[in-house]
This record gives sequence, C-alpha cells and structure tokens, in this order.
Amino acid sequence: MIRKEAMKAVLEEIDSSPVISANGFMSRDLFELKEKNSNFYMIGSMGLASSIGLGVALKNPKKRIFVFDGDGNILMNLGSLVTIGYLQPKNLVHIIFDNNSHESTGGQPTSASKIDISKFGNICNYKIFVIKDKNSLKNCLKKIKKINQSIMIVIKISTSKERSTRISIEPGIIKKRFMESMNRSK
Amino acid sequence: MKKTFQTKVFNFLQKNGIENFIGVPDSTLKEFISHGLRKEKIIVTTREEEAIGIASGMCLSKSNSLVFMQNAGFANSLSTITSLVKLYKIPMIFLIGWRGYLKDDAPEHTMIGKIQPKLLKTIELPSKILSENNWEKNCKWALKKIKNESPCALIVKREFHD
Repeated sequence: MIRKEAMKAVLEEIDSSPVISANGFMSRDLFELKEKNSNFYMIGSMGLASSIGLGVALKNPKKRIFVFDGDGNILMNLGSLVTIGYLQPKNLVHIIFDNNSHESTGGQPTSASKIDISKFGNICNYKIFVIKDKNSLKNCLKKIKKINQSIMIVIKISTSKERSTRISIEPGIIKKRFMESMNRSK
Repeated sequence: MKKTFQTKVFNFLQKNGIENFIGVPDSTLKEFISHGLRKEKIIVTTREEEAIGIASGMCLSKSNSLVFMQNAGFANSLSTITSLVKLYKIPMIFLIGWRGYLKDDAPEHTMIGKIQPKLLKTIELPSKILSENNWEKNCKWALKKIKNESPCALIVKREFHD
C-alpha cells in the first residue's frame, strides 16, 4: 500500500470523525481524498499533529478524534507519546503512516527502519496495532470501535511518486470551520 | 515576585475564562505553577512546542489556554509560534519567566535574556511585563487580546538568585 491507498481505506471506516493531519503530503492526501470541515490540515509546525490531537481529544471526550501522523513527524515529537500515555484520552486514535522516510522533503530516510515506533506506543499506554495490508487494516478499524483506550495504529506503507494537490484553503478558514464543525455536533 | 502575587494571577485568569494551564516548569514561575498543581489544573509537557500544540487543540475546541515556560523554552518555540499560532491566528496567553534579566544571572541565560524583548518584537507577539502593581491591568489586557483572536505574552522578570 502507498499512503494514499491506506488513507482511503481508513477514511471509508471513520465516517465524519474529526481528523488532525500532519504537515506535508499527509495533509495534501487527505485534502484530495476527503475534504471536509472537520479536517484540521496542519501546514507548518512539523511534529505537532499528535499534540494538537491530544488537545482536541481532551476537550471532546464524547467524540473519536483521529490523528494522521507520519513516522518523520512523530519522531520529531516522541515526547507527545509520553504526555498522551500519562493523560490516557480514551477517544484518541493515533494513526502513523510509516514509510521509513521523509517523503515530503524528498524521500530522505528516517530512523524508523531500525526502530519500531509501536514499541514506544506500547510503553506509553496505547493499545497497539501494526498493519501491513489492506484487509487487516479494515479489520482493525472495525475492531477499534469497541476499544475504550488510546489507540495507535502503525501502518507500514511504501513510498510513492504520486503527488496530491496543495491545500488551497487559507489557514484562518481551516481553523474557523474546524471549530464550527466541533461545536455543531457536540 | 511575591508568592501571593503569582497565586493571584492564576486565580484571576482562571476566574476569567482561562480553562487550561499547560507548559514546562520554570523556577521563576514556581508559585504560579505550584498553585495550579494544587488545584489539579496543570498539564506538564516534555517540551514547550508540545504545550503549544495541546493548547491549540483545546482552542480549536473553544477552550482557552495559558502556556507557561522559561524564556529558554520560548526560544525553542519560535517556529511553532510563527507556523501554527500566528499562521492560524490561534489565541493563547504565553506566560514567560525571564531568566537573564539580571546581568549576573547564571551564564546560560545571559544571551537569551538579553535578546528576549527583541525576540518578542521580531515575531510580533504583543507582550506586557507583570509587576506587583500592574498585574491585574495587564491580565485584563491579555484576556482582551485573546478575545480578539490575538495571541500575546505576559512576562515575569527573574529578580532573585537561588
């Protein structure tokens, strides 16, 4: 699977749940696959998708909050796993699309090829899933609906030359409509 | 800064709509943070950027936050402030302990302490220095700023040695 295929499979299972997506190609793929008001497209601030997601999750305990993260992104903010593990929000689903590379900056390697990110999740009180194909991804997404705990899904993906379009929405508007969408469905 | 003073700042901001107090501990702000911990209202993070990220997520959920840090941590946070807080216009109050304000503070604080006011100006983050006499007025100023979607900073000078 490439990231876009994996993300498509995820989006088919999570309905209209809010998504915080990491900067770079992650947000661009989401924008192209399923544009909606409750997507918070992070443009800058690399590494912080998990922290923003934690803030949203803590304030909306009745909603499932999804974070779409990359291996490069989470490796920049491993500390956020510790804080998530300490606070243990039951409604946070942290998906890490792991291609062992910084694809958005030209495919340079991350250290994830030799370091198993899911093990960090394990010691940080997450329920862990490591996924390598589309069928198990679908099964996993069905299974997690019944789990009342912070969840980390590490999806092993391959790199790709496919490029999604840039996000054409102004950041102030991304914020505003996300806030409104959270309010409406409270 | 006296003990009662930082405690009053905490109580005043909490009473006026600040729901979350997130950050990395700093000895200059010790009384503020200890008071918040006693009230079980503090989230301690591993780094300052992380605190800003969490505060941003809470703001997206219409819950106002204060992020506390030392000025060394403020320097860590510059990119997060420019590419998240300022870019998306996410209002929050930064409470920053100013090490290196005294010329004979510990050496690691000298340079950052010296450029602290310039750094704030350069990244266009409006700020006020809190004192015994002006804290209430400046807290009201900060609350008004975030009401108008503008992030801002309150600074506490380090005026003692340990």
